Parts: sequence; structure tokens; C-alpha cells
Amino acid sequence: MAPQLGIVLVFFFWPALQAIEQAFYVEDAFGLSREFAGLANFEAVLSDATYYQALGTTLVFSLAVALGAMSIALLLAVMADRVIRGARVYRTLLVWPYAVAPAVAGVLWLFLFDPTLGLISSLLGNVGIDWDHKLNGAQALALVIMASVWKQMSYNFVFFLAALQALPKSLLEAAAIDRAGPWRRFWTIIFPLLSPTSFFLLVMNSVYAFFETFGTIDTVTSGGPGGATTTLVYKVYQDGFVGQDMGSSAAQSVLLMALVGGLTWFQFRYVERKVQY
Amino acid sequence: MATLRLNGIHKRYPNGITALHGIDLSVADGELIVVVGPSGCGKSTLLRTVAGLESISDGELMINEQRVNALEPAERDIAMVFQNYALYPHMSVFDNMAYALKNRGTPKDEIRRRVTDTARLLDLAELLDRRPRHLSGGQRQRVAMGRAIVREPQVFLFDEPLSNLDAKLRVQMRLEIRRLQKRLGITSVYVTHDQVEAMTLADRLVVMNGGHVEQCGTPMMLYAQPATRFVASFLGSPAMNFLPVTAHRDGVVLPNGVEVALPDMLSEGRAATLGIRPEHLVEATSMADAAAVLDVTVEMLEPLGADTLAYTRLPGLEEWLVVRLDGAHAAREGQRLSLAFAVAHCHVFDSQGARVPLAEPETQACQ
Repeated sequence: MAPQLGIVLVFFFWPALQAIEQAFYVEDAFGLSREFAGLANFEAVLSDATYYQALGTTLVFSLAVALGAMSIALLLAVMADRVIRGARVYRTLLVWPYAVAPAVAGVLWLFLFDPTLGLISSLLGNVGIDWDHKLNGAQALALVIMASVWKQMSYNFVFFLAALQALPKSLLEAAAIDRAGPWRRFWTIIFPLLSPTSFFLLVMNSVYAFFETFGTIDTVTSGGPGGATTTLVYKVYQDGFVGQDMGSSAAQSVLLMALVGGLTWFQFRYVERKVQY
Repeated sequence: MATLRLNGIHKRYPNGITALHGIDLSVADGELIVVVGPSGCGKSTLLRTVAGLESISDGELMINEQRVNALEPAERDIAMVFQNYALYPHMSVFDNMAYALKNRGTPKDEIRRRVTDTARLLDLAELLDRRPRHLSGGQRQRVAMGRAIVREPQVFLFDEPLSNLDAKLRVQMRLEIRRLQKRLGITSVYVTHDQVEAMTLADRLVVMNGGHVEQCGTPMMLYAQPATRFVASFLGSPAMNFLPVTAHRDGVVLPNGVEVALPDMLSEGRAATLGIRPEHLVEATSMADAAAVLDVTVEMLEPLGADTLAYTRLPGLEEWLVVRLDGAHAAREGQRLSLAFAVAHCHVFDSQGARVPLAEPETQACQ
């Protein structure tokens, strides 16, 4: 136990406590002096319209990423589960995106959708869609959502596929004999029995969307245009490491921790009840 | 009410393995057929092809004289009880039993009535709201039965339904299945590897080995006149004793020179196997017209209460000779016994393992 606890203490609790402490101070731009500020940092953050914009963006972004990544992964897992010939090849290929670094994944999508060079943006232009995520905020948000979904999908796929393969075959056979067609079998037997996995992935995907999409957003849009893709975690980085306002950044990370903590509590409290173990 | 007929059913897998080599079988309306054999003999595959869970490579499967080869499991109107019960873990007992009826679009009040009736029949009325994980093994087994019964199917299929129960419960459920099957009169195919279950449940017994039907008939017929050495060794516990013999002018000769007087049936000098069941070896003093008398030494005793099994050896032979003695018999290890047996209780198998008929013409009854 001790080594793990040590690692958690040094890399999680210590920085977290530092952030909480920092949230109550105002620091000069060079980090040479600081002054106790009470709740002033929080007040400033909570009265800033861009913070609420980032909150809204984050909620839309997270919901879309979590639902998108989970539903596509489930669809792919169900299809991969049915494949007999060459199953390993399909599975390996579907897992690959997870091994791609977020920044690399971001650049990949950036090239595909580049308004002047991109393959897909050119195809979209042919069907009359004027794609320019550098100017259009909604398109920019859609692009980072796609890139993040693509990245997370593999992770979900592995879990869903494992869960599907762990389902006793006889249950599905019994259902087939009990006159349930494939569609009904999926919704009345498979889907409920996958619920522990789905719940676990819901929590993991929410956390992913809130925190770990930073790299993708940074490479694809850098939070733009006009803050349209600035999520809360990206704003923490921008205000702290670009804007050098450590106090506000720390206050925002404290709020973000509280938000994700609250969301996870909510998920365990209300969503877990629907889980069939 | 339904009949079931299998015409030359073959099952070949894409990897080249053939699991069923042309199975012919017909099951009369209301009949309970038990398919028995060692693991890997193809009995479960046979059941799964009837259920529609495995495709049929060749041959015809008829339910009520309708060819059903191409029908989905759902369209065959069969019910199956699985070895692991396959109860839906996220549904209550009621929902488990109602599932098939719901899928068929049966009206709600009829579902309720049929599930409640079946639950009463199986003594499950108190458990309808429980989830399967809150039931004991025996209760789960009854729910699995109930789920099959409530549908009133044409054919019942049982895939080793009792093998996960303890010995006492198994005997109890065996009687229960027999009682329900007779009462409901539903045509049934029951697969098991347990020969006691097979003997006690079957109207007719099918013994399978290596994807072939070895023999088919009433349990007592298979017991009394096994068509092959395999059937003879598979049915009966302890198993039949087999002794290597050579055909002789007036019967057969054991390796130690003891002659067994049998009707003339094999050409002289051919190798064969003589089979005698443990219960058919009796002490020589109590038998007048014995086919032969064997002098053996008792090497080990297994008292079972009602009976005592004596593991004896015949001088000059490798094989054990197992004898079923009365439980009150005063045999001791090391004791010598003179054992006799009647001609009527001798089974002779040729070198291919096929039965050599001694007197009476015998009948086969698969079709």
C-alpha cells in the first residue's frame, strides 16, 4: 500500500492542496510575492461572463463526447462481437486510436478538416457545406467533439467488447428460443446486462471529457474561435499559464474539481440505481 | 401435440470436424426420449440442432411432419431447459416466465394467469418477485422448468438440466420432471451423461457414441440386450465385467482354460469378449444349470449397505471381476469364492464390439 499512497499523495493530494491554497491568494505576474485575497478570486470568476460561456461549452461538449463515444463504441462492439473470421484484426484496428497521443489525434483531424487543405472540408464544400472551423464556432465545437469521440471510442470499445463476450451465450440462446428477435434481444437482454459496464464508462467518459480533452482542444482550436471551444479545463490553462493569473486559475480548478466531484456523486446516487448487477 | 422426426441428421463444422454422422430418430407424441452418452459424443449438438441453435449440415428435421430445417429457433415452437438454467438475471421470476409470452404478444391478463398457474404447479408462487440470484439451485431449476412449461410448446428439450444439483435434489427433481412430463404429455428430448437419470426417465433410450447412435430402445431392453460392447459398458453401475475369450466348439474359452458352454455362434478360434453383469454372478452352490463356474479370490470389498461390491480376480487374468453380493454376505478380503452364471446372462461381443446373438432374434427401434 505505502508506495501507491506515496504516489497519490505526491502527485494528487499535494498539488490539489496547493491549488486550493493558491485560490485564496493574488500573486504578481512574476510569482515573486502574493497577498491573501479571501474569496475575491472566486467572486471574480463567478461574475465573469466568459466563465459561464465556458461552463455551457463544457456541458455541451462533455455530454456530446460521452454519449457519442459510448454509443458508437457500443455499436462497433456489438458488430465486432458478431464477426468470426478475422475478428482479431478488426479488434486490433478498432483499439488503435487509443494508442495515438491526443495532440497527434488533434493534428490528424485538423488536417482532415483544414478549411484550405483538408480532404473532408473540400468534400463538404462539394456538397454545399462551407466548412471553416477557424471562423465558425459551432463547427469548431463539432470538430473537437469528433476528435475527442474518436479518441475515447477505442477505450469504450474494449470494455464493451469484453462485457459482451462475458455474457453467457446460453442467455441469448434462451432468448432466441423465447421468440425474441435480434433487436428485442439487444434491448431486453444485452443492454440491461451491460449496464454495469455502461455506468462505469459513463463516469470515466465524463471525467475524460472534463479533464483529458485538453490536448485535443489545444492542437485543434486552441479554445477558439472567440472562446467557442474553451472548456473549463482549457480556461484554467489559459488564465493561469497564458494569462498568468494564478489565483483565478486556481479558483477555477477548485470549482472544476467540485463540479466533477458533484457530477460523479450524482451519477453514483441516481444513475447507479438503474444498474443491474 | 407433436411428433419429432430426424432423418439422417449430419452436423459438420467449418473446421472439418463432424459431430453427427447421420442420426435417425423418431419421437412419438408425448414420448420422453433420453439421449445418453459420454462427453463429446454429440448428444448436446444433437439437441442444439433440434432447437435450431446449430444449423443442420445434411438431413431432415421434422416437427409434426413439417420440415423445420430452415426455421429460426423462435419459429419452431420448442422450449429448452439449459444446463446452467440461463435465467435472465435482471428479471424477476415472473418476468423470466412471462418473457416468451410477452414476445409473442399474449394479452397481459392471460400472461398473468398462465404464469401464476405454472408457478403453482411448480411450487414457485411465493418466489415470483425474486431475482434469480436470490434463489437456491433447486428453485432456479424449477424456474427454468416453469419458463419452458408456461409456453405450452410443441417439444421440450432438456440439456443436462440436473447436473448442477446435489445428489439428493437431483433424485427429487428427476421424479418431478417425470411426473410433469407425463401430466402435460409434451413430447420431450432429454440429454444427460448420467446413466441412472437416463434409465429412470426414459420411455426410450438413445445411446450415442462418437456422433453415432449405438442403440435405441426401452431402458430395460438396452440393459438386457446391449447391441454393442459400448452400450453394455455404459449402462449399469458398476459396469459389466468383460473377459477376453476365444470361440470354441461348445462355446468360448477363457485364457486360463475355463470353458463356458454357449450355443454355437462364432467360428472356432475367433477372439471375442464375454460380458457378465456384476449382479448376474452368484455363488455356485445356489445355481444348478450354470454356464461355467469361476474360482476367484476377493481382493477388495465395497460395502454399499444393501449390497456389497466384491472386486475379485480370476487366476491367470488381468481383469477385475466385480460381483454384487448381498449386503449381509460375510465375504472377507483374501477369501476364495466359486461364482456361477447362467447362459441367459452371457453377452458375447465380437472383435468389433458388436453383439453376437445367442438365441433370440433382436429388434431395433429407432424409427
